[in-house]
Amino acid sequence: MKKSAVVIFPGRGTYGKEELGYLRRYHGQRSSFIDGVDAWRKAQDRTPVRDLDDAASFAAGRHASSINASALIYACALADFAAIDRETYDICAICGNSLGWYLTLAGAGALPPKHAIRLVDTMGALMEEHGVGGQLIYPFVDEDWRQSPTHEKSVSEALHAGKTEGEAFLSIRLGGMAVLAGDEAGLSAMEKSLPPAEGRYPFRLARHAAFHTPLLSHVSKMAFETLPEKLFQSPGTTMIDGRGAIWTPGASNVTDLYQYTLGEQIVETYDFSKSIEVAIKEFSPDALILVGPGATLGAPIAQELIRHRWLGLASKQDFAARQKKDPFLLAMGREDQRTFVTSSLQ
Amino acid sequence: MAGAIGAAEDGFSKRLKAGRLPAAIAGASLDQAGLSHKDLARLFESQLASRALDLEARRLGAEKRGYYSIGSAGHEGNAAVAHIFRLTDPAFLHYRSGAFYIERAKKLPGQTPLWNMALSFVASSEDPISGGRHKVIGSKALFIPPQTSTIASHLPKAMGAAFSIPLAKTLRRHDGPLPRDSVPICSFGDASANHSTAQGAINAAAHTAFRGLPLPLVFVCEDNGIGISVRTPTGWIAQNFSQRPGLHYVYGDARDIVDAARAAREAETYARIRRRPVFLHLHTVRLMGHAGSDIESGYRDRAEINSEADDDPLLHTARYVCELTGASLQDVETLYADIKAQAGRVMEAACDRPKLTTAQSVCKPLSPPRSLRAPRPGRTVANAPDDARARREPQHMSRLISLTLAEQMARNGAIVAFGEDVGKKGGVYGATARLQQKFGPARVFDTILDEQSILGLGIGLAHNGFLPTPEIQFLAYVHNAEDQLRGEAASLSFFANGQYANPMVVRIAGLAYQKGFGGHFHNDNSVAVFRDIPGIILACPSSGAEAVKMLREAYRLAWTEQRVVVFLEPIALYGTKDLAEPGDGAMCAVFDDIKGGAAFGEPNIIGDGADLAIVTYGNGTYLSRRASRSLSAKGVKHRIIDLRWLAPLPVDAVIKAIGSRRNVLIVDECRKTGGPGEELIAAFVERELACSIRRIAGVDTFIPLGPAADMVLISEQNIVDAALELVSAGEREAAE
Repeated sequence: MKKSAVVIFPGRGTYGKEELGYLRRYHGQRSSFIDGVDAWRKAQDRTPVRDLDDAASFAAGRHASSINASALIYACALADFAAIDRETYDICAICGNSLGWYLTLAGAGALPPKHAIRLVDTMGALMEEHGVGGQLIYPFVDEDWRQSPTHEKSVSEALHAGKTEGEAFLSIRLGGMAVLAGDEAGLSAMEKSLPPAEGRYPFRLARHAAFHTPLLSHVSKMAFETLPEKLFQSPGTTMIDGRGAIWTPGASNVTDLYQYTLGEQIVETYDFSKSIEVAIKEFSPDALILVGPGATLGAPIAQELIRHRWLGLASKQDFAARQKKDPFLLAMGREDQRTFVTSSLQ
Repeated sequence: MAGAIGAAEDGFSKRLKAGRLPAAIAGASLDQAGLSHKDLARLFESQLASRALDLEARRLGAEKRGYYSIGSAGHEGNAAVAHIFRLTDPAFLHYRSGAFYIERAKKLPGQTPLWNMALSFVASSEDPISGGRHKVIGSKALFIPPQTSTIASHLPKAMGAAFSIPLAKTLRRHDGPLPRDSVPICSFGDASANHSTAQGAINAAAHTAFRGLPLPLVFVCEDNGIGISVRTPTGWIAQNFSQRPGLHYVYGDARDIVDAARAAREAETYARIRRRPVFLHLHTVRLMGHAGSDIESGYRDRAEINSEADDDPLLHTARYVCELTGASLQDVETLYADIKAQAGRVMEAACDRPKLTTAQSVCKPLSPPRSLRAPRPGRTVANAPDDARARREPQHMSRLISLTLAEQMARNGAIVAFGEDVGKKGGVYGATARLQQKFGPARVFDTILDEQSILGLGIGLAHNGFLPTPEIQFLAYVHNAEDQLRGEAASLSFFANGQYANPMVVRIAGLAYQKGFGGHFHNDNSVAVFRDIPGIILACPSSGAEAVKMLREAYRLAWTEQRVVVFLEPIALYGTKDLAEPGDGAMCAVFDDIKGGAAFGEPNIIGDGADLAIVTYGNGTYLSRRASRSLSAKGVKHRIIDLRWLAPLPVDAVIKAIGSRRNVLIVDECRKTGGPGEELIAAFVERELACSIRRIAGVDTFIPLGPAADMVLISEQNIVDAALELVSAGEREAAE
């Protein structure tokens, strides 16, 4: 009997130095898919993802820029998605974080491949050109990944401080992390308000705009003008969006999907935590599969599992022990876990 | 086969595989119902998920891992009602509403209806509505107050909630949670329609509409033609409710999801636009028996069971889906298999979630969480009568109560007072005198003479942020409606894990001593009905001044602590002015001189004599105070402990007040059996109170008319005699 799995697509910032060569390493044989991506990239006069992936060294300015990172992550993630062993895993739902929502649409078939790269790349370009503000991250949890009322209060106070000085919003609920966004005045006020934690927080995310906030209303408007509804179609697999709403293949209204994706999804908080909560509770899968590149989304997912005491997990140590014994979260960006997910033929 | 737990053969799946889809039974089109193909698919998924959960519940029940098996099979057409009505239309649902719940959950992103239902089937403490206390369908976020709905006792409160919506509109500053254009829904079965509660609520709604007052409400009768094993006569529901004045009747066949949606839309439009009650009669079938433990084949023949299963609403929707969307039977089978697999995983995961493990955790929501809502001052109408003079002069109890009500209504605009004769007449004994002139007919009004409806109205008003003050004219009349307090108002917080509560102050005139007038129904002296209702507070003042202080506390308890408070006013003391001598005026008080409230759980202590403690309440306190003179004259040093709070009894405080006194006399004006005296004695014995205890109480009988009433009630002389006997016996013992 197949195992049920919810697949999770990563967001921006997951293709780093370690991921350089990811496509070459794992997806040499998926040339037609990558060719399709690069045909689009070339037609737009943008660097082909294969060139980015094959680069001799990682350059943040090049690899992590909106214009390149979105397409690169898209190519890696969808190639990983195709590599999941369907004889072993039955995918009951798909979700993702932020950019991961566009990848979810692609993975679920709500965007055919040629339209998916168009949407991903167009949104990357719009963000590159018209993105304003920035993001910073700060934990909701303590170092053991347990809920921290002190941190939660700090986040709440920081948002208040940010709104007093400028614009400040909760951009993403990312498991045990708060992704806060705002304009420069808001971000500075939040940084000043947040007490230093774990030696690295608050941490400003380079090259990120104030995603998922009303500061990007103009980008939403441009996206509607640039990307028509006809790119979208009914998904073939169930999706969970950034509010925790479930989109099933039979009942998804394409107009609603289009409106959400280019509207609310861009200008309102992306609740990745809620999408994970819905995934585990409403689908109770045998496994969660986090596709690559990278595996940094693993921590927020684990933190969300701990918050719900899923599988009896109550701490970071519990999670680590479970992963060692019988991993529930399978990250394809990790060599040791990738083998659980991909077919031996891959 | 249908019936026994675990033997949950999936008749839908069997017929689907055999390609046995039923012929169309209603002619409604998607356009008429306002449904798109996607809507249809969405409804079908809700129906399938509900059925899958039913089957899972039976499986777990057979394995002794699930604890509830009344399902929704055959009633899944109610998903159409959920689809048509708004998320914010409060839904008071009966227990066959799984598909409704799942469909409504789709109106709010982030909901996990399968998981939530699974948790409730296995009684997990993580069940987000009841916290593992009961399998109820409910959700605060989805505007579904939880119901057990077993005896249609939720209909009166649905009527009350509907009444509250136009009332909130009239009282413009009211800040209740229900939008001003909401239409409450209330569902029940054909058998439940026979309950007097159902009939009373429908009558009250129709009566209101007949008077031309707004009451937007849709009663949804899901008629499956049978109540457990008893058939409903064909045509009974239609003939009973299609010709009622004030009630608009709409019929739909809920085996056919499209027709159900058409009918629901018609009902919804009528109720929302015209703000009048609608009776939505939906034809359903009941599949898989009444509950898991019900062996249906014992009272229904096989052909009938199979015939109903052939008309399974899921088969009808499958036919629509195949015909309209181009899906194949194989596609439907695959979809159902996926949903069943999902439900199976969810149920298994739910089995591992924690359960309630201590009595303390079970009982926690009996005291709901405190409310932080600040009261908004209530406005008086133009040219309202001025109470200033009345407040400065000595007044008897009924006037002091009306002055306190006026004080509280001015302080808190959410308070509304109502009941038979409460408005113009000012209450049967004048306790609501002049309130309507002062605050207007929207806040002080008359109701029909039906105690179930009066209390149900209160519960429904509380659902929309009002602080209701219903009046029941006589204590004996509350027995006609006690379940509205016992099964509904008091249990709501329990079933909702404190998320919902029914704060209210129920005023009831009662107890005896009316000098032979009235007989039993106007002199009832039994409070047993309230004393075992978990969570309820029963207050009984013994004088006008006490009534003022206790009523203030009652409102604090209701508003801040969200409690259901029954305020029992001794009729005999309403107009009593004097205590010991004619003209002494000792039972009167000046309202403006009465400061503060009487703390909940604190008895009223009168005197500090060291020989004897008289523990009493209500008329007993009045009589004991009168007896006090004789006792003092005979050298018996005593203290009167006026309980004030009869449920829960302030046992600790009473024992503290008894202190080192060697003699305790319990003066219980209620019938000996079931009176508060019983619990007092039990508590004193359990605490090994080192003193002599006597009790005098009313005789175990109904109160007769005329002077014979005195034969069965305790008197001032009884108190004196019992006290002297007790004290002298104690002295003899000491001497020996």
